[in-house]
Amino acid sequence: MSAHAEVVDAKEQWGGGRSPFGISYGKMFMWFFLVSDALTFGGLLCGYGFMRHKYPEVWPIPSEVFHHFPFIEASLPLAYVGFMTFVLIMSSVTMVLAVEAGHRNDKRKVLIWMFWTIIGGFTFVGSQAWEWWHFIVGTEHGAIRNILVDGVWKDQLIYGANLHYNEYGLPVFGNYFFFITGFHGFHVFSGVIINIVIFIMVAKGIMEKRGHYEMVEKVGLYWHFVDLVWVFVFTFFYLL
Amino acid sequence: MEFDDDYPQYEFMAHHSEEEGVVKRKKLWRVFWIMLAITIVEVIIGLYAKQMHLLDATLHSTISLKTIFIGLTILKAAYIVLKFMHLGDEYKALRMSILLPYITFIVYLAVMASIGEGGYSGDSARKNTMDKLLIDQQTKVRSGESGGHGGGHGVEEHGAEHGEKPAAEHH
Repeated sequence: MSAHAEVVDAKEQWGGGRSPFGISYGKMFMWFFLVSDALTFGGLLCGYGFMRHKYPEVWPIPSEVFHHFPFIEASLPLAYVGFMTFVLIMSSVTMVLAVEAGHRNDKRKVLIWMFWTIIGGFTFVGSQAWEWWHFIVGTEHGAIRNILVDGVWKDQLIYGANLHYNEYGLPVFGNYFFFITGFHGFHVFSGVIINIVIFIMVAKGIMEKRGHYEMVEKVGLYWHFVDLVWVFVFTFFYLL
Repeated sequence: MEFDDDYPQYEFMAHHSEEEGVVKRKKLWRVFWIMLAITIVEVIIGLYAKQMHLLDATLHSTISLKTIFIGLTILKAAYIVLKFMHLGDEYKALRMSILLPYITFIVYLAVMASIGEGGYSGDSARKNTMDKLLIDQQTKVRSGESGGHGGGHGVEEHGAEHGEKPAAEHH
């Protein structure tokens, strides 16, 4: 593709004097950082899979847990997470359009698309907070569980989920849910912050002075990675 | 920013003209529509999984459900990595040094640790350590008494049913 104007002979590629990968060091290390981060998420999701396969008969059924939609009383399983997925994919598209505008040195378009990316990121983080709130508060009726209260095991009526109990099923589901979606949500949040920093840098004309918008590309890689992780979290927590 | 060597200026290599940009944007939007379609299909299959007999307690339906969802997810992931992150446009050396180690480790973890180990770990005494009330609730939810998958009211009803006696004790 035209992304690499340089024509390289495979024999000379590793001969020195140039990057054998054909990219700058900054982008390369962003990639390697993302690989290590992806291994962290992969490990966490495999840990989730381990428990999921260990306790299949008491694992919460996702559509019984997550069926709320803001401002609507009806039970709509998957609708809201579907919306969240849409928001994140959409913000990934606006990010890649900002990167594309950067390749044309079009400052105005970079700013517009990055702005929408930031909006999408905030929408997603807010949605996740709302989802957590519903999961923690639980249903009106709650459920009875044998739990440890002040050192004594008791049958007690509990509501919602936390790290000790979970009215929807096995408590460990809550632990994995809070940790993995929380870790991902923190990635989204830091991604939004980094996006804002780069947005300000672009607005101040720093990239224009450099002559290229590679910083936008690097933060874009991180942002797409966040979307990538969500695709898997969505499947393993909500669909399977 | 300045270097004393004569390395090529990699930062500028992805630059392209206005006309090329039009073509690229068109491709990106096409990827977006494909990914949106995949997500909608996933949600629909998720909603009607019970009617499609994908939630039956048979090995066949379990494998079908997982194959469909994980397959579609990997398809979406491939679009993100190869198109949005432009890994498909990079040199093969970079592509392979990122994908091969990752895929190797994750296949190991997912197949051997997650499915293999998880499937039999603690098989014999596992149920003895679990909360009987939890097993009871979940058995009812799964037997379809609750109105089933997608209904969303099942857990609440059972909670109410159980709730009466101990609620009196505690309040």
